Amino acid sequence: MTTTFDLIVVGGGINGASVALFCARAGMRVALIERDQICRGASGVNAGTLTLQMTRVALIPYALEAHAMWANAPEWLGHDVGVVVCDGLSLAFTEGEEELLTYRAARRREAGAPIEIITGTEAQGIEPGLGASVRVAGWCPIDGFANAYLTGLAYRRALVEAGVALLERTMARGVDETQPFVVNTDRGPIRGRRLVIAGGVWIEPMLAWLGVKLPIKVLINQLSVTERVAPVMRTQVGIASGLLSLKQYPHGTVVIGGGWQGWGNRETGRSGIVPDSIIGNVRLACHAIPALAEARLARSWTGFEAETADVLPAVGPVPGIPEAYVCGSIHSGYTSAPYIAKLLAQCILGQEPERLLFPIDRLLLQSASAATVS
Amino acid sequence: MVVETDLVVVGAGPAGTSAALAAANAGLGVILIDEAREAGGQVYRAPARTLTAAIKTRDRDAAAGVRLRAALDRSSVRFERGLRVWSIGERFRTDTVGPEGVRTFKAPRLIAAGGAFERTVPFPGWTLPGVMGLAAATILLKSEAMLPGRRVVIAGCGPLLAAVAAKVSGGGGDVAAVIDMASRRQWASVMLQLATRFNLLREGAGWVLGLARRRVPIHFASTIRRIDEADGLLSVEIGPVDGKGRARPGRSSLINDVDAVAVGHGLVPGVEITRLAGAAHTYDRLRGGWVPVLDAMGRTTIEGLYAAGDGCGIRGALSAATAGTLAGLAAAGDAGALDPDTLASKSEPQLKEAVRLDRFSAAVSELLALRPGQVADIAPDTVVCRCEDVRRADIDAAIADGAADVNQLKHFTRCGMGPCQGRMCGDVVGELVALHAGSREAAGAWTPRPPLRPVPLADLIGSYSYNDMPIPKPVPL
Amino acid sequence: MQLIVDGRTIAAHDGEMLAAALMAAGLWRLRTSPRKGTGRGAFCLMGVCQECAIFVDGRLQQACSVEVRDGMHLELRGAP
Repeated sequence: MTTTFDLIVVGGGINGASVALFCARAGMRVALIERDQICRGASGVNAGTLTLQMTRVALIPYALEAHAMWANAPEWLGHDVGVVVCDGLSLAFTEGEEELLTYRAARRREAGAPIEIITGTEAQGIEPGLGASVRVAGWCPIDGFANAYLTGLAYRRALVEAGVALLERTMARGVDETQPFVVNTDRGPIRGRRLVIAGGVWIEPMLAWLGVKLPIKVLINQLSVTERVAPVMRTQVGIASGLLSLKQYPHGTVVIGGGWQGWGNRETGRSGIVPDSIIGNVRLACHAIPALAEARLARSWTGFEAETADVLPAVGPVPGIPEAYVCGSIHSGYTSAPYIAKLLAQCILGQEPERLLFPIDRLLLQSASAATVS
Repeated sequence: MVVETDLVVVGAGPAGTSAALAAANAGLGVILIDEAREAGGQVYRAPARTLTAAIKTRDRDAAAGVRLRAALDRSSVRFERGLRVWSIGERFRTDTVGPEGVRTFKAPRLIAAGGAFERTVPFPGWTLPGVMGLAAATILLKSEAMLPGRRVVIAGCGPLLAAVAAKVSGGGGDVAAVIDMASRRQWASVMLQLATRFNLLREGAGWVLGLARRRVPIHFASTIRRIDEADGLLSVEIGPVDGKGRARPGRSSLINDVDAVAVGHGLVPGVEITRLAGAAHTYDRLRGGWVPVLDAMGRTTIEGLYAAGDGCGIRGALSAATAGTLAGLAAAGDAGALDPDTLASKSEPQLKEAVRLDRFSAAVSELLALRPGQVADIAPDTVVCRCEDVRRADIDAAIADGAADVNQLKHFTRCGMGPCQGRMCGDVVGELVALHAGSREAAGAWTPRPPLRPVPLADLIGSYSYNDMPIPKPVPL
Repeated sequence: MQLIVDGRTIAAHDGEMLAAALMAAGLWRLRTSPRKGTGRGAFCLMGVCQECAIFVDGRLQQACSVEVRDGMHLELRGAP
């Protein structure tokens, strides 16, 4: 391919796809390289939770903006990802949880999240499906969820409409040159003036192509879904400890998450569930919404999530490599992705992003060759 | 609490039971697991508990089932009945749920013998109550001593057509018609290939003669075009098909006032265990679809994992028993319980038998294999995925939208996301996607995921104390 | 023995498969499909199709995998 794109994005999850989309709409010629099909990794299999109650304080302003974008997906994305905006409840069953919840809700509230601590009885008024043992709950009226598996089709349509060159089933293997960049793929070299690394847990090996060492911890998150059941809940439910996310989709299935860990290996790409971990997760779900116990588990699966050393995003320019950027490891990345991608796109387009990015300089290990590439 | 043993066998049909017996006889500790109350799988399925006295042991399969269960009872195999396997993990942790809740087993070797399930290629009306599988009709007749209906149409392909028709007739039911996709010529060719299998031929001839005596119309090279329902009864429209299952121009006819239709278009190997374990598979149209890659003894490409029976490819009950025995011997040999010479001498006759049976089973497998023309013919408004009401038109639209394989199709349409986990529609969906993707390999197969069957959450959670739940380190605020 | 289906009593035999007992009583329609609301009944009778999943004494079970018990309460609740 002899074209020189204005921007190459490596990684077709929601981060990469969103950056590609916004830059293309601003007039750039964009190529999106994805080794599989877009949004089939974590972006297609996560719990879809759009909650502020698990968002880190520093990320609350970003999540608030992103929530507004999700609620308006038909406007800017143009296609449906099944977003449901509803109340969110974070439950406390023990004294310890009550303490944790109260403190954290207050801190999040200070950061702008409209979270109120309510009694167990009040919580049951909002969510009749709750069991009786809730002490207190964090209540947030700006909450909800999207349907992760709809992400791929929605973004595909938007990307195609925006004229992005969608290079799926194309494996990026390295960066042969910079300025302009030549990305080596199994279908030949792709040339571009700018580069965004958005490969999920693989941003670590990808940044290594540029001589940059960014350690990424790989989480293996488990999820479970029931078959369609009669309505058992109407809010998005979590627990103070963070070990539960729970929602029922309009079509009736209930998705159970909460970051319970399975097993997995980034190098082989293989992952799987740990049975006791699934059982623990399901127990919490049934503890929160007892009627769930009537349902049957239809499917469980795992997905990779990236985490930096300080559990904050890796979003911004790559130090020492002009016109190279990274976008990933956001922590509850799906929730905030559209807004974070919008900010990075502003940066790539030469504007001052309307909010601070998260430059990765803070996270880098010193490499043996301290001299950076110019 | 995890129960440890030398070998776990999943599935107690002819393959699994033979495997368990062979391994136990060689000295391995064996746990045999099945969802059902009794061993036998589907082909040798035990009659209902209260009907055992009424078994006609002239029925070959019934007699074989009795012998199988007796041999199992006499053996040292520990048969765990009524347990549903939901997860299989690292070498080889086997998680089950049953009447007493969660039970977990572990062994360094596992034999997957989960059998096959029936395929029905969709047509308008196939989801109407009163329409059931051929295997379902067989279960009612043999295990429940019950007619599927008073006036029945029996349709599809394979030897089961005549068997079911004969049993319905013999039981006093009215077989309105038998609708066979195969032509007389295809049957003649099958007969030739089965020429030395006197028992099979005699049995088959008996069925057909019985039907002729009762003047049951048999329509060859025909298929059901649609079924409609009115006033609680079904009317069945049939029409001619060619060798590939495509509708031929020709008069269709209507069979009215039917209260049950038994229809089945072959069998699909159940490969969920070997797929979940990451073993290599290959697409084998003759043997029913995706099958695990095996050596002659039944070893998969995953160390310690073996497979046998119709779950590895449709070959029938006798081949299943032979394959099971070989896998059981292999497991025993690999575990060091049999020295190489003994393993070789015990395996030799079984290996020869397997080769011999393979020749004959191919003829029947051909009758049961998926007919691409039949899939191509599925009308746009026909439901393909029963669980999620996904129609052919929805699938075609998703493919036009860019769905390049069955898993992407699943994300676009929910096809395959229902509780049957893609079993009822999977083979047909693969064929539909292959029309555009170019091959079944390109179309792919559903990503394997646990649970292997839906499990009630109530059974999984058991009894616990909230305070015992693990408290993680809180995520930084 | 007797089973109670949505309040109605039907007869059943000891040892009978629940799905078979329902068919014998003329109850072929067990549930409705999720999107179109069309009637469905038992199809495969071997635990695969899930079409016979109904509420048995308050718990969702596959009628083809369950033996009848005297006084069983069954609910054909339709689509979720």
